[in-house]
Order: sequence, then C-alpha cells, then structure tokens
Amino acid sequence: MLIPRRVKYRKQHHPGRSGQAKGGTTLAFGEYGVQALGRAYITNRQIEAARISMTRYIKRGGKVWINIFPDRPLSQKPIGTRMGSGKGSPEFWVANVKPGRVLFELSGVDEATAREALGRAIYKLPMKARIIKREEGEA
Amino acid sequence: MADIITIPATVRTTFGKGAARRLRRDGHIPAVIYGHGQEPIHVALPEHETTLATRTANALLSLDVEGTEPKLVLVKDIQKDPVKMSIEHLDLMNVTRSEKVEVEVPISLTGVTVGNTVAELSLQTITVSAPVVELPDRIEVSVDGAAEGTRFHAKDLDLGEDVELVTDPEALVVAVIIPSAKDMGDRADEVAEEQAEAAAAADAAAAGTEAGATAAE
Repeated sequence: MLIPRRVKYRKQHHPGRSGQAKGGTTLAFGEYGVQALGRAYITNRQIEAARISMTRYIKRGGKVWINIFPDRPLSQKPIGTRMGSGKGSPEFWVANVKPGRVLFELSGVDEATAREALGRAIYKLPMKARIIKREEGEA
Repeated sequence: MADIITIPATVRTTFGKGAARRLRRDGHIPAVIYGHGQEPIHVALPEHETTLATRTANALLSLDVEGTEPKLVLVKDIQKDPVKMSIEHLDLMNVTRSEKVEVEVPISLTGVTVGNTVAELSLQTITVSAPVVELPDRIEVSVDGAAEGTRFHAKDLDLGEDVELVTDPEALVVAVIIPSAKDMGDRADEVAEEQAEAAAAADAAAAGTEAGATAAE
C-alpha cells in the first residue's frame, strides 16, 4: 500500500477541499484515464483497491500509472474517548483530490478492455469520476 | 495539414474576469492575437465554431475581425476548464503563409504489436519546424507487427515534406516492451507473495489428488 517513507510532522491540519485541480488534469502518460468529477480524500486502501481491480481485469496486458499519492495524514480519536486531551493519533493516509484531477492512466490494451478496467476502478473510489481518452491529434 | 477555417471575431473593449465571464455566458470565447511586433488585439470568438476548429493541434484560423482584412493566426495556447472541457481563453499568434514556425506535434500510434507486448509512448509530442500552411496536425507511428525490443527514435519518424525535426533526432519516441509486474503497479514483495500463494495452492491441489487416488485404491 502507498505510504510516505518519512514525514516531517506526524499530524497535519485537514487539507483544503475548495476549488478545482490546478495541475494533473490531462493525460500525461497513457491512452485512457480516470478523471475525478467530485472532491474527496482518497485513502491508500482505496487507491490499492482500485489498482487491484484494474490490474486483475487486464491481467498482464497493459501498463498502469497511478498519478496521485496519499501524502496527507488524517488523525482519529479512539471510540469512547472524551473530547480534549490533544489531537488523536494518525489513522489514515489520504490524497486530496479535487475535480478535474486525473487519478489513473492506462495504456497497451484495447478500448473495450480499458473502459471495463477503469470502470471497475471507479467503483472503488469515494466520488464521481469519468473515463477520458486521448483524442486523435490531441497533445 | 488541416484546412484554414474562417471565423468571425469582434474586438473586445471591456476586460477583466467580470467582462470575460459575461462574454462566456453570451456564447463567446475571449482571445488575444499577438506576434510580428504588432500591438496585441483582444477579440471575442463564437464558442461553437471555435471549439470545432480547435479540435486538432496547431489549428490555423483566418479571423475576420470587424473592419479589417482577414488575419491568419495560429493557435498558440488553449486554456480549458478541466471538468467542463470548455475553452476559457485562446492565445492566437499572427502568422504569414510563407512563414516557418516551430510547433509541438502530437504522436499517435497505429496498428497492433505482436503477442503480449505493449507500445510505450516515451514522447507524447515532438517539436518540428514547418511552413505555416504545411503544419501536420499529428504524426503517426505504425507499430503494427512490432516485436519486443523494437524502438522508434525521432529520426525514424515520417514527417512529410518541408517538415524539419527540431527535437533531438536520437530521442526515444516509442518502445515496444513486455509489461512487467512493476508496470502494473505491483510491488516486488506483493508479486512474490502472490507467486508463493499460487505455488502453495498448486501443491495442495496436487496433494489432494494423490490422497484421493490412495483412498480409491
């Protein structure tokens, strides 16, 4: 599962969720991709689940790129704990995704296989997303 | 090369995000024309026609700006809304028919490679220099029947007449590879774990068959 090797501070504030993606909004490597239409904190487990559902479907036939990385820690207090006594312990690693961000890219498979594989990956994500394709002549 | 498309344009007199948003609401796209040492001209273009005309890379337009003779312009930059995919603003560069310009041309792959190999595009675009009216909208690379290890460098591409390569000729454009576990995003320890599980399952199945055969005897 994706996780940072080393962090400067263990606990962070919640990442900002407003606005649209500023970069990474076009296909950079592959022929097909998944583009976020909503905003969400995507956990490393969700990224892994989406990747597995994609790669198990295409088997050893294509190449997959994961364009997001869960580099923001989210903390949680244990159940039954009273409020106060400091911030909870880090529980999740999330990628802060805003509308327009390309999450996964895929190449080396035919269009029908790519659409089915990426559709399966979208099922594992916590927000709406769409499949995009590099158009003929589009840079 | 693509055809030259004529589009009517009106000169903009109001600027800023408020004016630009009003224009977009009324079905226009704000744009700017510059180049050749002339003063920039701010124009508004009809949204539908402009969107259709700029679907190919390096589109060449003939702008019918009110009260002046038609201007030949090259689309230099397109700002798009990432979610709606609508054009927000266009940068247009003044050009002349005889002029040679440097542009980025996208690469597109055609054909199917042999076996379970994959054609990996290392360069999405290459830079070429060509006369304005001869600009290619894309460069096709045929990977039909290519085997593992086949490599296409920039110098191997068929660019057409009058088109000169600016990108390093030795730059790798396409490589035909067999995707490894790493290409699928799998980590080495996960692959080893999967292989161990598969081997264990195979052993168990084999042992079960033997046990069944012994019981039958």
